[in-house]
Amino acid sequence: MLGSLAGVLFDGLAYGMLLFLLSVGLSVTLGMMNFVNLAHCSFAMVGGYVSVSLMNRFGWPFLATLPMAFLAAASVSVLLERGLYRRLYRASDLDQCLLTIGIVFVSIAAYAWLYGTEQQAVEGFPPYLRGSLQFMGINLAAYRLFLVLCGFLVTAILVASLEYTRFGAKVRAAVDNQRMARGLGIDVDRTFMLTFALGGGLAGLGGSLAIEMVGLDPGFALAYLVYVLIVVSVGGLGSIGGSFAAAIVLGISDMAGKYYVPWLGAFLIYLVMVGLLMWRPQGLFGKR
Amino acid sequence: MPLLELRDVRAGYGDAVVLDGISLEVPEQGSLAVLGRNGAGKSTLLLTLMGFTRLKRGRIFFKGRDVSALAPHRRAQLGIAWVAQEREIFPSLSAEENLTVAAHPGPWNLERVFRLFPRLAERRANMGNQLSGGEQQMLAIARALMTNPGLLLLDEPFEGLAPVIVDELAGALERLDGMALILVEQHTELALSLTEDAVVLERGAIVHRARSGEFAHDAPTLERLVGLKIA
Repeated sequence: MLGSLAGVLFDGLAYGMLLFLLSVGLSVTLGMMNFVNLAHCSFAMVGGYVSVSLMNRFGWPFLATLPMAFLAAASVSVLLERGLYRRLYRASDLDQCLLTIGIVFVSIAAYAWLYGTEQQAVEGFPPYLRGSLQFMGINLAAYRLFLVLCGFLVTAILVASLEYTRFGAKVRAAVDNQRMARGLGIDVDRTFMLTFALGGGLAGLGGSLAIEMVGLDPGFALAYLVYVLIVVSVGGLGSIGGSFAAAIVLGISDMAGKYYVPWLGAFLIYLVMVGLLMWRPQGLFGKR
Repeated sequence: MPLLELRDVRAGYGDAVVLDGISLEVPEQGSLAVLGRNGAGKSTLLLTLMGFTRLKRGRIFFKGRDVSALAPHRRAQLGIAWVAQEREIFPSLSAEENLTVAAHPGPWNLERVFRLFPRLAERRANMGNQLSGGEQQMLAIARALMTNPGLLLLDEPFEGLAPVIVDELAGALERLDGMALILVEQHTELALSLTEDAVVLERGAIVHRARSGEFAHDAPTLERLVGLKIA
């Protein structure tokens, strides 16, 4: 019983880390730039399919595809930002929702046409990530351990780059007061473009890491949008620490729900969300 | 060649025209007081220099270069620094980050602005929204200096501050070692004592030009144009 509890906690933590990686980019763009980007998981899907293609068609090792997934999703998000999103920065939330949900449907149709609608089977996934280790009597799947490490690493890098670098200060200054930031010589458009690229790239990384744990098909862009929005709203807009905490809480409660109260199953995550938001409507670490 | 030159500038917001036919020059190391009643277009003049208004006619030259069509951040990078009327400190940044976020290398660095405003050194770790009004104004001026500008634009820096803080700020402005500045101010007497030249704006046009030192003693004209109670 105790062993299974630890196992559930560990699996929940790994699942939470995956949710965190998928959603942290949205927390940055939605929370800091106030842009409602419902197509965030389409960027994740770009990363996922890039990894699948590189592995299956070109025989790349899985780890080498991760930076490419990041870069591809970041590039796609920059193209969309330059071409479409920036025109709607001052538009209403509804306009932003309509545009981005449209992009979701376009991306679903495009990937269904290119890759078919079935789940992608991955060949050549590295064996060292397939196995498991025993630790104090608990069975730890190697891949889940890897996800947890990735989550901590990304959190550390993000917090360091947004809180302690000059680039991060420029982003926060531009979000606080665009006109003053421009008046001091900060290139606000470029700053926002890079921020958007970072958010999109992280989604791509998340999408690529998600394949082995939850699978990949064209419905991904819509199916995971719900979870990502839950994580961001429970965590609090613009708070990286908040997204981290929320993703872990939601990941663990989802796993625990499926394991201990199967009749409630996947619904538990919504109850947790409702409870947390009634307790803290701004989210766990939300400022606004 | 003057540091800044405006030739027949007409500018405003959208279709509205606020400034019309403004021509003026500021030499290297020069200083200009911009006086006038509320709504005369004084703040709009500074916003036009930064590129935040719509320029409908005329040209603006800075360091001999036509900057009329440049985006605001490009003008700032060329060396025009703007201290906004509402101070507009970034609340999510600490005082020190406010200073360094847009800093440009040059003679003005953290050490030097802290020498100019010792209070800021004590408050460097505080967030921008935890400072008093006077401290925010010091921070706004110091933040502009950190960009190592060639020209400093100050929009009513003494507004709403206690007399002792006004004295401290005015003392600091006197110690800027000949940095060119344009000072928009309601405290006419103080503004004239800090500058070499002065212009008076009325309904978006320059109606009077004078040397600041002489203008300060021209009580009848001051009273007529600025509506002033000079002690």
